[in-house]
Amino acid sequence: MNDRITQLQKIVKESNSICINSEFLDYEGIVSYYPEELIITVKAGLIIKDMRKELNKNNQDLMFFVDDENISIGAAYANGGQDLSDSVLGVQIIDGNGNLLNFGGQVIKNVAGYDVSRLLVGSKGKLALITEISFKVLPNFYVEKLVKPLKQKASSKAHKVIEQKLKQVFDPKGIFK
Amino acid sequence: MSIIKDLLKEIVPKDIVIFGQENTRVFECDGLSAYKKKPLVVVLPENIEQIKQVLKICNLHNIPVITRGAGTGLSGGATPIEQSLVLGLSKFNKIKSVDVENRLAVVEPGVRNIVISETVKKYGLYYAPDPSSQIACTIGGNVAENSGGIHCLKYGLTIHNVEAIKIITIEGEEITFSRQDYGIGLLALLHGSEGLLGIIIEITVKLKPISQSSKLIMAGFNSVRDCANSVANIIKKGIIPAGLEMMDKFAIEAAENFAKVGYPLEANALLLCELDGDEQSVENEFKKTIEILSIASSIKVADEEKQISKLWKGRKSAFPAVGQISPDYYCMDGTIPRRYLADMLEQISKLSKKYNLAVANVFHAGDGNLHPLILYDANIAGELEKTEKFGMDILKLSVKFGGSITGEHGVGIEKLNAMCYQFTDKELDIFHKIKKVFDPKSLLNPGKAVPELHRCAELGAMHVNKGKLPHPEIERF
Ligand SMILES: Cc1cc2nc3c(=O)[nH]c(=O)nc-3n(C[C@H](O)[C@H](O)[C@H](O)COP(=O)(O)OP(=O)(O)OC[C@H]3O[C@@H](n4cnc5c(N)ncnc54)[C@H](O)[C@@H]3O)c2cc1C
Repeated sequence: MNDRITQLQKIVKESNSICINSEFLDYEGIVSYYPEELIITVKAGLIIKDMRKELNKNNQDLMFFVDDENISIGAAYANGGQDLSDSVLGVQIIDGNGNLLNFGGQVIKNVAGYDVSRLLVGSKGKLALITEISFKVLPNFYVEKLVKPLKQKASSKAHKVIEQKLKQVFDPKGIFK
Repeated sequence: MSIIKDLLKEIVPKDIVIFGQENTRVFECDGLSAYKKKPLVVVLPENIEQIKQVLKICNLHNIPVITRGAGTGLSGGATPIEQSLVLGLSKFNKIKSVDVENRLAVVEPGVRNIVISETVKKYGLYYAPDPSSQIACTIGGNVAENSGGIHCLKYGLTIHNVEAIKIITIEGEEITFSRQDYGIGLLALLHGSEGLLGIIIEITVKLKPISQSSKLIMAGFNSVRDCANSVANIIKKGIIPAGLEMMDKFAIEAAENFAKVGYPLEANALLLCELDGDEQSVENEFKKTIEILSIASSIKVADEEKQISKLWKGRKSAFPAVGQISPDYYCMDGTIPRRYLADMLEQISKLSKKYNLAVANVFHAGDGNLHPLILYDANIAGELEKTEKFGMDILKLSVKFGGSITGEHGVGIEKLNAMCYQFTDKELDIFHKIKKVFDPKSLLNPGKAVPELHRCAELGAMHVNKGKLPHPEIERF
């Protein structure tokens, strides 16, 4: 098992309050990239610009609108909406108990279990520490002209209640602030 | 039964409440007919109020609720369990509105998939996901399974083509989830939730303009491996076909025998590759694709809508076609990275010899989603058990190749054991807790989709490393 991951698990296990910020950005790089599969798996600290550079070498690109190329892919995921979520295939996380968990995978189609890899898009670092993400990518030619997604609607009360309860599922001790 | 008495007392009209051995028979299974169970009672509500009344009564009596669309599911998702109520949504079959400008349609859950495309055709639009079962399956069922289809390679799964949904929770609360919601991905969570989290009562689907131009290339191959490799090569070349489907000899023969569409009977493998878009790009893609397919033993090209749908018809009727030549068949649904397609097919063929059961392969090759159909005869003692073991071996292989036990048919009751191989206890535990958030008393389709932890323990299942290593050790046998 990866040393840095073990270290991160330890940090989570021993803390009672964690704010996921740039301190975690050193977990970065490409885990695997198979252009012929249209799938890339990256560590969450990878800066989007670097990720796209690699994709562009193979005439491929991300399928979602990127506002700021200089942030990490993990940050984009944690603050993303449905358009980013559409190309997410899998995620590796450390939950609030320090457990390393995998959801989704590195295949285009996968309906085994609830879709946690897309559920956590937009979780703002409050549910779990995202360590690795797999994305579907496309040849440049097929990446439709990307437009900034519409502004998101404020959450209804029902959504907030569900989100709060789901936080307790992933982070029962409430350490992710 | 006090619940039936309550239902009859509360719900008018009475004829939507169905009970008794004979009357409930048609609801005893879904498309996976190996599993059957009669429900206590079936209700076919006609409006939202009636759904709420039913849920209230079920809540009071702690009666499990099995939501049912058309019952075409292939994993037992809509199969009743002991002492359960089936909530059939077939009467919710209206298209409520079509917004041509924004390319959206608001539909009820019981609307059949194909009806949406038929209805909006006059506006030059269609609904992209097209499961082979599209003439029968409902859009509610499609959301609940996150269904795919032949054209999902380019146009995405159900989740990619839905703008918003409205659900009713077991407590009777109506909640809407949309693509524009702030916060976590609840819309995505409900997709593929197999009736365990809420009852989907309204769906806003995204519509697409019908392509200017399309071409379907049908390529026959002597070698299965060449056919499988062509799939990877087409995508490697930077081409995304609208559909990219493959069939083996057995499936070709069955489909041709059933649909008579002109498939090459001498081929050992068949590739159907549809290209669409504006005329220029189709022409470009076509040139490149034909070059890649020059190793094929036969090529036929169709460019008129009628011809194209005729060639697709053979593929879309492959399951019933196989059903016609074998007393029973068992359909698997594993996915694997495309680069292992040829290896996987070889493994399946070895297993077929080992178990002495024939297999017909039809699959969404472009997505790496395989549907090996294992042919068996349920009337021969022990053959179903043997078939299930064979199926499990295929699913384990899928996980080993870094894939998944189900690409689009869902877990239901059928793949509960296989789930133990794909997920660890801690991951499964998260799933159980997610259900609790929506359904604290576990009344919605309980026992489906996620195995109890003790089940995995009893099975002695070690979860298989999901191809985390770049070159997973693939067992050869
Ligand atoms: C010949 C054949 C070919 C097929 N081809 C494909 C294919 O190409 N691609 C594919 O993805 N699938 C395919 N399927 C599987 C099946 O058609 C799909 O899973 C389909 O989406 C099921 O829809 P349904 O309305 O029949 O749902 P059902 O079978 O009635 O239910 C399926 C599940 O969804 C739940 N459910 C249904 N409606 C609702 C609702 N409104 N709210 C909450 N939960 C609900 C049920 O509880 C159950 O768990 C095929 C099946 C057959 C028989």
